[in-house]
Amino acid sequence: MESTPSLHSLSPWEPGILALGVFALMSLVLIIAFLFLASWLGEKKPNPEKLRPYECGIIPTGTARFPYPVAFYLIAVFFLIFDVEAAYIFSWAIAFDRLGWSGWLQISFFIVILLVSLFYIWKKGGLEWGPTARKSPVSPETSSLPSSMN
Amino acid sequence: MAAVFTPRYDLARFGAEVLRGSPRQADLLIVAGTVFKKIAPVILRLYEQMAEPKWVISMGSCCNSGGMYDVYSVVQGLNQIIPVDVHVTGCPPRPEALEHALTILQKKIISEEKPARPVLHLRGGTQGTTHPILVDGETKSRDTRGPGMEGIPIRGTSVTPPLFWDSRSDLMWTPPPHRIELKEQDKSLSQCLKERFGDAIRQTPQTSDMLTFHMDENRSKEILRFLKTEATPKFLRLDDLTAIDESARRDQRPLPCYDGTVANEIGGNRRSIRHDKGIYPDYTLVYHLLSFDPPGRLRLKVGLTGKDPVTQTITDIWPSVSWYERETYEMFGIRFEGHPDLRRLILPHDWEGYPLRKSYPGRATEMAPYTHASAIKHQPLDAGAFVKQREGDREFLVLNMGPQHVGTHGVMRFVVALDGERIADINLDIGYHHRGVEKIGERQSWHQFIPYTDRVDYMGGVANNLSYLNSVETLAGIKVPERAQSIRVMLSEFFRINNHLVWFGTCCHDVGAMTPTFYTFRERERLMDIVELITGGRLHPSWFRIGGVAMDLPEGWKEAVDAFVKVLRERIRDYEALITKNPIFKARTRGVGILSLKDAMEWGVTGPNLRACGLEWDVRKKFPYSGYENFKFDVPTATGGDCYARYLVRVEEIRQSLRIIEQAANQMPAGRVVTDDYRYAVPDKKDTLKDIESLIHHFINVTRGPKIPKGEAYAATEISRGEQGYYVVSDGLNMAYRMRIRAPGFANVQVMPLMAKDGLLSDLLAIIGSIDYILPDIDR
Repeated sequence: MESTPSLHSLSPWEPGILALGVFALMSLVLIIAFLFLASWLGEKKPNPEKLRPYECGIIPTGTARFPYPVAFYLIAVFFLIFDVEAAYIFSWAIAFDRLGWSGWLQISFFIVILLVSLFYIWKKGGLEWGPTARKSPVSPETSSLPSSMN
Repeated sequence: MAAVFTPRYDLARFGAEVLRGSPRQADLLIVAGTVFKKIAPVILRLYEQMAEPKWVISMGSCCNSGGMYDVYSVVQGLNQIIPVDVHVTGCPPRPEALEHALTILQKKIISEEKPARPVLHLRGGTQGTTHPILVDGETKSRDTRGPGMEGIPIRGTSVTPPLFWDSRSDLMWTPPPHRIELKEQDKSLSQCLKERFGDAIRQTPQTSDMLTFHMDENRSKEILRFLKTEATPKFLRLDDLTAIDESARRDQRPLPCYDGTVANEIGGNRRSIRHDKGIYPDYTLVYHLLSFDPPGRLRLKVGLTGKDPVTQTITDIWPSVSWYERETYEMFGIRFEGHPDLRRLILPHDWEGYPLRKSYPGRATEMAPYTHASAIKHQPLDAGAFVKQREGDREFLVLNMGPQHVGTHGVMRFVVALDGERIADINLDIGYHHRGVEKIGERQSWHQFIPYTDRVDYMGGVANNLSYLNSVETLAGIKVPERAQSIRVMLSEFFRINNHLVWFGTCCHDVGAMTPTFYTFRERERLMDIVELITGGRLHPSWFRIGGVAMDLPEGWKEAVDAFVKVLRERIRDYEALITKNPIFKARTRGVGILSLKDAMEWGVTGPNLRACGLEWDVRKKFPYSGYENFKFDVPTATGGDCYARYLVRVEEIRQSLRIIEQAANQMPAGRVVTDDYRYAVPDKKDTLKDIESLIHHFINVTRGPKIPKGEAYAATEISRGEQGYYVVSDGLNMAYRMRIRAPGFANVQVMPLMAKDGLLSDLLAIIGSIDYILPDIDR
């Protein structure tokens, strides 16, 4: 495929310092314009209440920056792992024909390892969320009248 | 308010439909309903947290000016705190009125404000209202007498205790209060108590409603424990605990039943005079107990003396009494020794005085004005005071859910301590909707009080009237004609359906189903049409009267009712097809918020919430009133006591209510719609034109109101949320001496921590939806 003939100095196909300079300048002008418009048009009625977190109209208690329970962190880490997995699989997928069978074997090995780790996390209870011991809907005590009633 | 978003009114057509959960994203604040002194600081904060430009609509008469609630807990006008652009009148305003207000606001912005001009740094143009907030004494007057009329007494004060002059009601004669014959079961209980406690407990010689005893304060706890655990039948439930300030009684003879009572010395300043034959108490504590099997009620009264009397707590016998004792403490200043957490429950934590004492001013206009400065000063109590913030080395996230929250169904505050998403600790802060209706009951005449009852459970409409009138009629022994009874039943059931339709929509909405609201509100509007056809009102018809109803049924009522019953029967099938077997709904509600039957019975949980625990208990069956014994209907129950069980019970209740309505409509008896005992009822206008007796009664009963004989009565009815009881005490005047409302929501909500603790935060929303409470019913 032939690239479109263009003016040499501003051609996107021929990297040059002038093109970069124009691009940087345009970005700068846009940013300045946006910032100026926002600050010129924006209402400025500062009020300490506006800076306070909204908590149903009550002044919040304590800080939000404190050691979080580890469950949130675990979920974040699991997400990261499987997100990276997707990135590798996509990059393999767009070139799978050129990578051939060896590429297929390698990605399969990669996926299997991740699947094994997923089942491991699952089994270890890493995906459990919230109070695990939910009360059963019908317990013997609640289904019949308490004896003290009679 | 809610109706404008739903199909018939469809606010979206007017360019405003998106409700925002945060003030940061909103440019319009609609303050709907009464502004209370406890919630005012929150409203002010919301307004200040909104970004510019911002506008305010004040919706409803209460919000505009305090409306009919000139009472200690209500701010007399939103514009004393924040500027208001548009006021909507009405109580409550119709949906069209709110839409009208919105178009007025849009016109105002276009024609007067030009809000874009200040943004573009052009001259002129404003954003939001430029009127300053009103200042009492300068730009507004709260004097109910009007300017220049300071010389006359405030209307009503001349007849209101404790400063009343000679009441003309004393010149009127009434028969003695209704008297009942005690049942065998009551007689044997009385005998048993007498044998066991001797002089410490004395039965009153006569009663209008139930077996009543006076107890010796020293042994009251022992007696109550005996009644709960050993007596036959066992009185498992404490229905209500309240007090009466006896200082304004006109007849202050010592009561022989308190003979030998040792007055409590801790309070100091004993005012009461010791008499040879007994003591006149300063306060009376009143306990109402209930036994399930066989159904029975019992009243116990304890006289207390002293300015700030002290008595023993009974939280170790009934844990449910905790809130009742806190309420009695803050309203009367009676202290309960040994109570684990005796602090204010309903009023703001920094409130001064005890509002239900007779010496306390009832009206907001008698008190200092509530201003912008007050709203800044009186902040709600910090959440840290409600829950524990750490356990061992685990620190919890303390979160306020409410009072201004879309999921809490009104202004109620849940303070939760979160360990991750698990609720480690939870406490409730109520009272943001406290209208002081019990205090109002002591100054409005027996008739005038009816409109206030409508607004107690504002989804219950005239069913509230029935609760109140049932007690008054029990006390005075008024016979209600059969036709009036049937009409009352039919309308009460309509309002039960009204409530359950709204509940269906909102409960499903709480767990993520948007659709049902739009369907159930469609049928609800049809129902409202019928209510409007019959009564002329929508939410608060105030249509029942002492001894009957306000007028006969209009032409065409039968066809409308029949058509509605037919349509709704089909539609319930549709609703159920959407939700009942919906896997998401089941996952969110089954096994969530479980309440055991034992807890439900002991904590005083009533209505569908109790029946969802598996107990077939319905006041309409157990203590029939208003002719319910003549109707065939089932009492639906479910097992499990979880959110799903509560859902099933309510859906079935809609069907049963339809059955009752159908029977009432088909067998509507002929005859009068109000009693011919004109001593109490407002006479038929036709009769007043014929005979002088009726004319005189008409004049008296619509002006100063009828006199109800001296006595007391408690009666409860089954409203949509459970048992609503009114305890009316008359001193033989044209108004109540004490008006106590036993609200189902108060007891139902008190157990919520039991259900929600150790669950997920998201389960709390499902529990809130399934409990079905309403704020004015909890806070009154």
